[in-house]
Amino acid sequence: MYVGIDLGSAPLHTSLTLVGAPDGSRQRLSCLGLRVGSTFSLLSRTAGGGRVAMVSGSRIALGSSLIKELRAEVVA
Amino acid sequence: MPVTETKPNRQLNLLVASVPTPSVKACCQTGTGTGAGPDAPAVALVGAPNTGKSTLFNALTGSRVTMGNWPGTTVEVSRGVWKTTRDAATCDCEDCTCDESDQKLDITLVDLPGAYSLDPHSPDETLTRELLVGVPADERPDLCIVVCDAARLANSLYLVSQLRELGLRLVVALTMLDVAAKNGVSVDTAALSKALGCPVVGIDPRRRSGLEGLAGTVRETLGTPAPAPRPMAAELDSLELDDDRFSWIAQAVEVGTKAPADPQHTWSDKVDRWVTAPVLGPAIFLGVMWLVFQITTAVAAPLQDFLDGLFTGPLTDGALWLFAQLGLTGTWLEGLVVNGIIAGVGMLLTFVPLMTLMFVLLALLEDSGYLARAAVVTDRLMRAIGLPGRAFLPLIVGFGCNVPAISATRILPSSRQRILTALLVPFTSCTARLTVFVMLGSVFFGPYAGTAVFAMYVISILLVVFTGLILRRTLWRTMGAEPLIIDLPAYQRPTLRLTASVTWVRLKGFLQTAAGVIVITVCAVWLLQSIPTQPGERFGDVPVADSVYGVAAQAVAPVFGPAGFGSWETTSTLVVGFVAKEAVISSWAQTYAVEEPEDSAAPGDLGDAVLASFTESSGGHPVPAALAFMIFLLAYTPCVATVAAQWREIGGRWTLFGIGLQLAIAWGLAVVVFQVGSLFL
Repeated sequence: MYVGIDLGSAPLHTSLTLVGAPDGSRQRLSCLGLRVGSTFSLLSRTAGGGRVAMVSGSRIALGSSLIKELRAEVVA
Repeated sequence: MPVTETKPNRQLNLLVASVPTPSVKACCQTGTGTGAGPDAPAVALVGAPNTGKSTLFNALTGSRVTMGNWPGTTVEVSRGVWKTTRDAATCDCEDCTCDESDQKLDITLVDLPGAYSLDPHSPDETLTRELLVGVPADERPDLCIVVCDAARLANSLYLVSQLRELGLRLVVALTMLDVAAKNGVSVDTAALSKALGCPVVGIDPRRRSGLEGLAGTVRETLGTPAPAPRPMAAELDSLELDDDRFSWIAQAVEVGTKAPADPQHTWSDKVDRWVTAPVLGPAIFLGVMWLVFQITTAVAAPLQDFLDGLFTGPLTDGALWLFAQLGLTGTWLEGLVVNGIIAGVGMLLTFVPLMTLMFVLLALLEDSGYLARAAVVTDRLMRAIGLPGRAFLPLIVGFGCNVPAISATRILPSSRQRILTALLVPFTSCTARLTVFVMLGSVFFGPYAGTAVFAMYVISILLVVFTGLILRRTLWRTMGAEPLIIDLPAYQRPTLRLTASVTWVRLKGFLQTAAGVIVITVCAVWLLQSIPTQPGERFGDVPVADSVYGVAAQAVAPVFGPAGFGSWETTSTLVVGFVAKEAVISSWAQTYAVEEPEDSAAPGDLGDAVLASFTESSGGHPVPAALAFMIFLLAYTPCVATVAAQWREIGGRWTLFGIGLQLAIAWGLAVVVFQVGSLFL
């Protein structure tokens, strides 16, 4: 059971910690540096309802369907 | 899951059957040194998409492969010979007795599809895994160069961690060091090398710097035994294994790099804020597409007209004059040369300006990094028909010309997506079809001609959408609907060398494939129109109706009876239309022995003849028959050049499937439109 908020509701330009990701995308995201426990931030909203995330210097575009399944917590 | 050997996929294995076994000796006396033959060491280039891997391959081998600043550009295995040399002064043999030939070493370089890991998510990544893990150990490459992006180092190292578990010889080639430096990241290659347990070399393949150092390191590493696999705990489940790898990566990044505590926002981020934004992003995308469309049609058109005029004018006149001088006027040889070879080569070359412009634009979009953003902006729209956003580009280009559009499907990373898109492109109504629509619209729809032509474009879009949906739910139903996850590369200024080389390799590939198909087809049509079927007629001097071509058209004509245009005069234009849609009107003019109209919107005598023919063949319902014919013309095989482009991109089997699909849809729709339309009109 994941906690936190989905990325669609997460604020931009704020440090977030990923706490949950769907099984089908977890490894792909991990290869791009976005794994459970890693810190990242959202840079912008994209056309189609997605987000651009900044993860350890990389920029990753995430689709709208995926961001609803990704859970994160705001870093205190 | 740990990386383990799997049973090789035979189909994929065919591509790598000749990967040679290791044959290396110490130091510079390595391999045969006589060319990258079967005994030459094999080195594989691997790495995440968009790290500069294909650009490096090009720089090392001097050959040309597809490359660009876009994830997943390399979708096929390319091979080349990497000619390395070593200066005697740098040779570290003890008591070196190497002569000049010993200091040369030719390496077989294999460019594998981009992969983030050895756990595949696409057919292309599966191929990379097969070539590295699926083949027996003695068929694996002697060494892997793992190309890693220094600006996003952690993302590139997952593959390194997996390869280190295999005990392969590795060399890490670091690219994008300049981008990393701009982001405030510095890399200590020596410390990184120690942490990774393999040599690390900094290079810039776009500017071809650092390549000699890479060659030296590769040669030295080839001369050493393969390293032991990275030690790991024996009993790890997949999550624990991933944790172990990421810990190893984090440790390597920590000791090998220095980065600012807070990652800096770059100017790429500022641009992306506008370019991928909800409203402005699609508007910018449409503007870029409009520009591409304009350049590939408006700018190319005068050049095409010039080349067409050159071949149909001076070159044809010159050939006719030459045959007259040789006393061969009216012979089959004259017909073959003028109506077959010159016409065929002329048609092929008229595509050169169009294709060159298209390939230049594609290269610029790829190399600049914009194409990745375009994929983000259009993703949601294209997903409605099961395609990724990036498929939008070839479909838009198809409304200009289907031939470059088919080639543009190369931007799709998955071969299945590429095939599906290449099958849909022919349903986009190209400008060649427009001239026929305008003429028929003027003849049959009078003041509503514009509406009729517009309807063809609407039907064209509907054909793409519905055919896409049907194929997606049948033959492509197993194609995964992976969520959008795109690694956005930093924007960069396209380089002239990269743009030129990418354009050249694509143009060369098109010409190599299309030349044979186009010239042979044009010659075949000429031959069929030249062979008489009636006694007393001479080869090459026969009325169209009496030629094999005309007789075949008469035989096929009844098939189109239910669609209301079952006359041989109309059917024969469809055959000509298969060669080129531009030739439909001139073919009609030839058949009816009237002047070809200067303006297709004012067809004159030809319009009267066509109207009479449709009225007769439709039993007094010429309007629905004309509409059915226009729809058939829209949906069936666009032209031989498109077929040639498809053959090159998706192979013969899928091309033939596409032709069959288009004919079936075209005929079915034409029959329905006529049968229903004739009830009312």
